[in-house]
Parts: sequence; C-alpha cells; structure tokens
Amino acid sequence: MALADDEIILAHRNSEWTGHAPILEEDIAFSNIAQDEIGHAVIWYTMMAELLGEDPESYPDQLVFFRDPSGYRNAQLVELPKGDWAFTIVRQFLFDAAEILRLEELRHSQYQPLAEAANKIQKEEFYHYRHTHAWVQRLGLGTTESHRRMQAALDDIWPYTAQLFEPLPDETLLVEANFVPDPAGLHSAWRNLVVPSLEEADLVVLVEAMPVTAPRSHHTEHLPALLAEMQAVARQVPHAEW
Amino acid sequence: MPDTQWPNYEVFQQEREGQPHRNVGSVHAADAEIALQNAKDVFVRRPNCLSLWVVPSVMILAKSSQELIDGTWAETVPDTPASAEPEPYFVCQKQSQKLSDTYVVHVGQVEAANPVEALRRALEQFGEDPGWVWWVFPARAVTQSEPEDIESMFDPALEKHYRHQYHYHTVAGMRKIKKGQNS
Repeated sequence: MALADDEIILAHRNSEWTGHAPILEEDIAFSNIAQDEIGHAVIWYTMMAELLGEDPESYPDQLVFFRDPSGYRNAQLVELPKGDWAFTIVRQFLFDAAEILRLEELRHSQYQPLAEAANKIQKEEFYHYRHTHAWVQRLGLGTTESHRRMQAALDDIWPYTAQLFEPLPDETLLVEANFVPDPAGLHSAWRNLVVPSLEEADLVVLVEAMPVTAPRSHHTEHLPALLAEMQAVARQVPHAEW
Repeated sequence: MPDTQWPNYEVFQQEREGQPHRNVGSVHAADAEIALQNAKDVFVRRPNCLSLWVVPSVMILAKSSQELIDGTWAETVPDTPASAEPEPYFVCQKQSQKLSDTYVVHVGQVEAANPVEALRRALEQFGEDPGWVWWVFPARAVTQSEPEDIESMFDPALEKHYRHQYHYHTVAGMRKIKKGQNS
C-alpha cells in the first residue's frame, strides 16, 4: 500500500507539469514518467486486491478515488506541491534512487508475485533514475541561478526523505521472511548512491535539518487538496462508465 | 525573433533487426545525452525500437535531388578546415515519394575529408538508387543508444497498450446524447 500510494501521489504531482514543463520534450518525458508511475501503482494495488480477495478490476479505483487522506500511506515527500522545476527534479531523483534500490532487493523477494512485479517495474524506474540523474548534474553545474535553486530545493526536500525508509507497522515480520528488504540497510545504500551524485553536481547535503519521521498515516495539509482534485470527478459520478 | 530553443537533433530509429535506421523526426536538447533521452520519450513511447541515434542538425549536409541537378550546389556549402583528415560519413537517402517514406533512411557509409566530398562519394556509390533527398554527416556526430539500454529504454513500451478514443464507451455515449438533443 505504501509503495502504491507513493507512486500514485507523485504521479499526480508530476502530471501537473503536463502542458507546463520548461520545454516540449521534457513535458512529454515527465508525462511519460507520471503514466509509468500510475502503471506501477496499479500493479501494487492489484496485488493487494488478490491478497485480500477483492475484485482486481475495481479495487484499485476504489482505493485511489474513494479513500480519505487519513487512509493514504504515502510519504509526505511525494505530496508536497510540485514547486519549481528544480524542486521537481530533486524530489524525483531522490525518490527514483530509493525505488531502484528497493526494487533491486524486491526482485529477490521470497514472495514470488512481488519478485515478478519488481522485475518488471525496475526496468522503467532505472530509466527514470537515469533521466533525473542527468538533470541533477546539468542544473547543479549549470548557471548560478540553477545551482541556487537546486541547493534550495535539496535543503527543503532532504528532511522528508527519511520517511521513505521508516519501518512500516509489522514490516519486521516481512523482513525476517525475506519478503522485503530491511529499511535501514536500504537507507544507507541510498545515501551511498545519492550523496556522491549530488556532490558531483556541486550540491551539499545539510545534515542538521530534523528528519521527518512521522508515521505514514500523518500527512501535510497538501494531501487533502491534492486528493480533492484527483477524486473530484470520480466522487461526483461514482458509477460513470469510461 | 531570436531562437530560444535548445539545439535541434535529428532522431533515427531502428525498429527491427536487419532494418536500417530511419529518420523519425527531431528533438531539442542542450546536449547529446539528453537528446537521446528526449528521443526515447518522444518517439519510443510505443514499440518497437532496438536502437536510437541522435545527430545535431547543424552537422548534417542535406540536399534534395532538385538542388543537385544544378552543378553549383557545392558552392553553397560552408567551407570546412582544409586540414581535415578523411573520416567515415553516414549516408542517408529518401527513397521514394510514398507517404510511408517521408523521411530519409540510412543506406551506408563513405570516407571523406569534408561534407561536400562525402556527398559526392555518396552520389557515386549509391547513385543508382533513386534518391529524392540526400543527407551526409560524420560518424562522430552520432550518439547512439547502447544494446544494454534496450531493457530499460525500449522494452517497457512493448507492454503499453495504445487505446484509440473509440476504446472508451464515452464516444458512443456522447453520440447518443447529441442525437437526443437534435431530435
């Protein structure tokens, strides 16, 4: 659920760039990423439906369009407003890095359906990571203005990243069963991946900022607004056919 | 008005093993690496693709068969440094006027010291085929995707379904509604 919610909320934020990205090509690239993420979320929601004995066709829509903010389990990182282009790129880069590492581990999960899904999603996420990594380097090393914006974005975003690696309730059982990777191990692998890349782009990680470690049921004021928009049509006409 | 866009890159796509790279359009990008990624995002959302090339448009010498009839075409090409060593050039050709052959395809390679010489060689070597448009550019101008990129850049597109608008019931529904309004 946490994986799926991260993807769907971030996809919505990224889709807000459709028609507004700095250039047409990037507009298409980010809309692609947003669509890929929706696709990944559907895979996870469908897997949940199967585990819970729900209808795999309707359950994902049910979860996405008819759950209140308190029912969402996404990290606060992904619900923050899209900000400027630097903010979007830094957030996406840090998130993609976490995803590729997590998925790499999930590919070896003892739970077969999870391993298969991870195998498939990993390929696309690797490309997302490559794309945002390229952008981080160019904006970090670009002009004084682009560097300033990137550093400011990083300072704002960094504290929120901790929540991506906070253990979920009962996750220890799954870790012990080798179903999912240990979040602490993932966190340090992630730091080893992103910090050198950021430094290469002349960006400095502030260590003093207090990390956000709230449980995933706690949200910022931005999530209700986002959901109000995302769910509006579905809630007005619950049984509409498409 | 000044051009505020990034430089233009021509995009070539190879769809299947054994097929030539075919020009599919162009993208703007600040550098070749991003151009290659943009090419993927703009042209390979749908399958199939095995390989992509991007080439800065400014590196391409392009001439139509019409322009080549006039023997003075070479004079219109800016001079390149005289000391240039011979190097491989890629040759592309638009082979027919059919709609499906709107763009040039890659037909081969020649060795030349500059673009004019490359085009002359190309005309000698490939001139038997009818060419409506000719492009030559140095091989070093090409940035290519690598075979190991296929998995993350191109394969995922195979599983994405493109849905035309008539896939959705809404179209039929709207027609009904409109009919109802007219009567």
